[in-house]
Amino acid sequence: MASDKELSDCLKSVEKRAFKRTVYAVRDEDAALDIVQDAMIRLAEKYADRPAAELPLLFQRILSNATMDWFRRQKVRNAVLQNMSDFNMEGGDEFDLLESLETADGMLGAESAAETVSRSQILLLIERQIEELPARQREAFLLRYWEEFDTAETAAVMGCSEGSVKTHCSRAVHALAKALRSKGIVP
Amino acid sequence: MNPLTHTNPPMAGHPLRLEALEGQLAQRLTAHLSSGAQGLPHDITERLRFARERALASRRTVVAQEAAPVVVQAGRAAALGGPPALWLRLASAVPLVMLVAGLVFIQHHHDLQQIEAAAEIDSALLADDLPPAAYGDPGFSEFLRSGESP
Repeated sequence: MASDKELSDCLKSVEKRAFKRTVYAVRDEDAALDIVQDAMIRLAEKYADRPAAELPLLFQRILSNATMDWFRRQKVRNAVLQNMSDFNMEGGDEFDLLESLETADGMLGAESAAETVSRSQILLLIERQIEELPARQREAFLLRYWEEFDTAETAAVMGCSEGSVKTHCSRAVHALAKALRSKGIVP
Repeated sequence: MNPLTHTNPPMAGHPLRLEALEGQLAQRLTAHLSSGAQGLPHDITERLRFARERALASRRTVVAQEAAPVVVQAGRAAALGGPPALWLRLASAVPLVMLVAGLVFIQHHHDLQQIEAAAEIDSALLADDLPPAAYGDPGFSEFLRSGESP
């Protein structure tokens, strides 16, 4: 059973990313704070007897459920379903991720990028594009690469197969790279 | 040698290579997101801290509630020297038994009252000069009504 300090440390380590992740989904800071608080309380009350190592994964799962509950309460189910549908890459798309990466050579966030666009503006653009991703792609991308869960853990949180996680992540990265490149940012 | 600048184009379609490149790009993007998350406004971080503290307080309440019955039972066992669960069950059943007994007594008393009232009416009818059959006669009823009216 995790101690109070372990639970507190766990929540402290994830709370900011959890808040941002929720903001990307619901696009409302107040609602995101409520959802994160709700998830924290659910974790603390219902999983108080779990070992500390299980808490991060449990929290992410609870947070995802709490976010879905919020959408249900907001009666925007249709909009959610639309966002949750897989991102359809157009056939014959000329966009090449490899080319994009090769030319980037670490440009994103480097000083050369700051010559034209400030760092905060780049961040804003990235966040905007992440908000635009379909919900499942965004969730997979953030859990896999931001929360640094492995594929199996991400699949467990999302309640889908590992193959689906890989597909969502790949599509998300391609979509982000393409969108940012179209905005003049070479990822 | 930078692995990104020296990529062999024919390898681009290789799934592992592509996955690695996706991972590199994703790490760059999430590094930006992390820097943004660290720079959250003070009011947001304070509200997150409040949420965390509230969650911890909820946890303490839940843990205390779960621990409370154990303490009470242990106290009972120490004071009475018997099995606490059986004693508690018997003690909790006493008010219910008393309630049921009270309801049965009230019902019985009510039945007795009704019987006594009916007996009084029967006695009065039988002791009266007028035979009870007269009340079933339509003419007598009419006579009573006409006698009541002025």
